[in-house]
Amino acid sequence: MNRRLLSEAKLWLIAIPVLLWTLIPIYHIFLFSISTKDSAFSGALWPKEPTLRNFGTVFRQEHFYLHHFWNQIWNSLWIAVATGLITLLVATCAAFSISRLRVRGGRTVMNAALFTYFIPAAFLAVPMYKAMGTYGLLNSRWSLVLAMVTIAAPYAIWVLKQASDKLPWELDEAARIDGATPMQLFRLVYLPLMVPSLVAIFTYALLLAWNEYLYAFLLLSHENTIPLAVGLGHFLSSDDSPWEILMATALVYGLPPAAIYYAFRRYMVGGLTSGAVKS
Amino acid sequence: MAAVSFSQIQKSFGKTAVLHGISLDISDGEFMVLVGPSGCGKSTLLRMLAGLEDITGGTIAIDGRVVNDLDSKDRDIAMVFQSYALYPHMTVRDNMGFSLKLRKDKPARIAEGVARASRILNLDPYLDRYPRELSGGQRQRVAMGRAIVRDPKVFLFDEPLSNLDAKLRVAMRSEIKALHQRLKTTTVYVTHDQVEAMTMADRIAVMNEGRIEQLGEPLELYDRPANLFVAQFIGSPAMNVFEGIFKNNHIEALGARWPTSARAAEGQSVKYGIRPEHLALGADGIAAEVEVVEPMGAETEVLVKVGAQTFTVMTHGRPTFGPGEKIRLAPQAAHAHLFDAASGRRL
Repeated sequence: MNRRLLSEAKLWLIAIPVLLWTLIPIYHIFLFSISTKDSAFSGALWPKEPTLRNFGTVFRQEHFYLHHFWNQIWNSLWIAVATGLITLLVATCAAFSISRLRVRGGRTVMNAALFTYFIPAAFLAVPMYKAMGTYGLLNSRWSLVLAMVTIAAPYAIWVLKQASDKLPWELDEAARIDGATPMQLFRLVYLPLMVPSLVAIFTYALLLAWNEYLYAFLLLSHENTIPLAVGLGHFLSSDDSPWEILMATALVYGLPPAAIYYAFRRYMVGGLTSGAVKS
Repeated sequence: MAAVSFSQIQKSFGKTAVLHGISLDISDGEFMVLVGPSGCGKSTLLRMLAGLEDITGGTIAIDGRVVNDLDSKDRDIAMVFQSYALYPHMTVRDNMGFSLKLRKDKPARIAEGVARASRILNLDPYLDRYPRELSGGQRQRVAMGRAIVRDPKVFLFDEPLSNLDAKLRVAMRSEIKALHQRLKTTTVYVTHDQVEAMTMADRIAVMNEGRIEQLGEPLELYDRPANLFVAQFIGSPAMNVFEGIFKNNHIEALGARWPTSARAAEGQSVKYGIRPEHLALGADGIAAEVEVVEPMGAETEVLVKVGAQTFTVMTHGRPTFGPGEKIRLAPQAAHAHLFDAASGRRL
């Protein structure tokens, strides 16, 4: 009994600092967002006069940097959802044909997918800019969507392929004998069984695109096409940044991913680790 | 219903040949069991018939039509897998109706087909359950239901009972047999369990290392095994086999003379085989020492030793002797099997 207490205590000793480490910055964002401009840097743990006025400023687009707030958050959402959907489409088809139809060259594709991660995404930013320019996509939301799909797809293919491999092979054979064509197998047997992994991958790609800054900054430059992440960056261009409003915006910006993650948390853990261990 | 014909079937995986020219004709309505140790090629042969493996050489015909290049779905067969292979996201009803749905049958026809199969297999109470909510035996019945619904020309079973516990296995064995007697559909059944083979088959093909060792009715294989492999594979407990020399219409071995009605060349080296129930325990005969006595109620299995050789003896009585005691073995000459020591062929 004592031994168990001791080992639990050790775990707590690690867990508490990690938790604080994670939560303190978020608490700071929150603190800034409910403070007035004057008290924002007071260093107090709770503002003397907490206020929700900053949020009003954000939602009513009443600040110079926020004139396109709703437009930009819509861009973020649009880009994130599109990235999620296209990644899902690409990765599911790839995983199905490599894992279940066992197409020739599947292994090579898998290795190539893994290889893309040897090159940091930042290095590819300039070539990507050039490519989008060639296709005349610069300043279109599609350019960012395509760039994000490029970055998300290899990992998505790997995860989905691992998950596919775990489905019993006999199911495919039973379906074939039952008369299913490969497309029917995909639609009626494969997809329904892959739902947890599909949700996980959709969420992964969606969050990746939602949080992206570098590529968004590079590929999109018009006020009306940039996502909110880049819009937030504009705050830092002034000498006297309105921190309290920046933080209020950041908090709003952070809510959708948190909500999505919370809604799908069951799938996230199950889906991303499925295939990693033998169940 | 249909006849199935394998002709000179060969199969290689890369450079490894696993089937060496198998020819086998299964008649319309027959229950054929392919039996053999694991790796003998029986499942591969079945999967080739199902269209799940490519055919390296030879032809397979169903109902007179060569199916080598036909897709599984166009062969009009149904298969029951060892792992059941039920679709986990579909109810029992949808599992059974899946093939009809793919065939684009009308909903009323699908419902009718499912109802008929579920009546035959007593699955009515489970139609709206998911496979995970069923026991192993029920799942196996659903897998069979899925096969029946399609009313195929041939049923294929790939070790369907291996995942069930012993008691259920016996029950399902009779159920499959009864099903076959009712539907009279040509059936090919693969198993490694010779008891399943003996009890269910119309005919058995005993396979070993990619060849058919013997093809025949169960009791024919039991009474007249064509070679040592079949002799030792069929029958439980297994046949007692040892080596000896044929002299004066007897076999000399283990310091004793063993009677036989079979004949070999004088002085020929042979294998002598005798089934446990053909060794009588009596007052005369070959001296042996009791090692273990295993009473099973109706019968008693006795392990005895003659020289260094252990024998299994099956007796109906309830022997009073115990381990260490000396007894005498009397082999029934008419039931002794002789095999050539070198080739293993029956003499």
